[in-house]
Amino acid sequence: MRVIYSGLMRLYPAQYREQFGEEMAAVFEDLTSEHGAEKFLSRCAFFGREITGLMIGAARERMRVLFGDDLGLSLSTRRFFMRNEFRFPRTTAVLMTIILAGVAMAIKMGEDIAGSLPHDGGQVGPIHPVHPTLLGAIPIILVSFYAMGLACWAILFALRKSGFHRLANMSGERD
Amino acid sequence: MQTLPLTEPVLLILLSLAGRPRHGYSILKDVERMSDGRVVLSTGTLYGALRRLLDDEWIERMEEKEGPRGRQAYRLTPNGRRKLQLEVARMKQLTRVASLRAVKES
Repeated sequence: MRVIYSGLMRLYPAQYREQFGEEMAAVFEDLTSEHGAEKFLSRCAFFGREITGLMIGAARERMRVLFGDDLGLSLSTRRFFMRNEFRFPRTTAVLMTIILAGVAMAIKMGEDIAGSLPHDGGQVGPIHPVHPTLLGAIPIILVSFYAMGLACWAILFALRKSGFHRLANMSGERD
Repeated sequence: MQTLPLTEPVLLILLSLAGRPRHGYSILKDVERMSDGRVVLSTGTLYGALRRLLDDEWIERMEEKEGPRGRQAYRLTPNGRRKLQLEVARMKQLTRVASLRAVKES
């Protein structure tokens, strides 16, 4: 069991192992001797808890190293216990949907343009410039959807529904 | 970063350190005792929580005078104690309202 424990400890980032590795192993030793006299099922429960704890802990520490504390926390179970004021404002989801619709429409248009080009199916011949007005439409669509999103946000901001004021109030309360 | 309200394991760890400095094993046992065996932390969970509390400066490390040489103990910082008091006050207020409502309902 000690071998498995030290093996799983390797899943943690090196810095974490340096800081806590020895201590964790020592505590695990104490716990193992304490549970040594217990029934088989209790020992299994103890080992199961330790292995699960190590694996979850290591994944969490790795995420913290890769993405920082915020993402690590948001991806952990704490996300499901977050208070309302820490969640995304609903308006963010609406604006993201509008922008996503714009991107999807631009992609569709790009596919239509590609489909309308003549295909010989044989050798690749000389490249002819595509009609500039068709390609020019894609950025126009993207920009117009972004502008639409921005306008919606400005309206929501004016109505104090964008979530910005709520965040500002929260920062003020903390200070 | 730790935020209020605290999770139950973190609250119990802080309460365990509120009385006196403790090392890892002692914290585990104290948490188990305080929760009547309901909360049993693994070493991975305990040290993950201790790492975050150290980062946020709610607790600090110190070398134990008694016990094996070099064994680390943990104690609350003034900031950690203040946060713990805030959390306890929040819970008190909540339980007061809950008791009033519960009595009213019955």
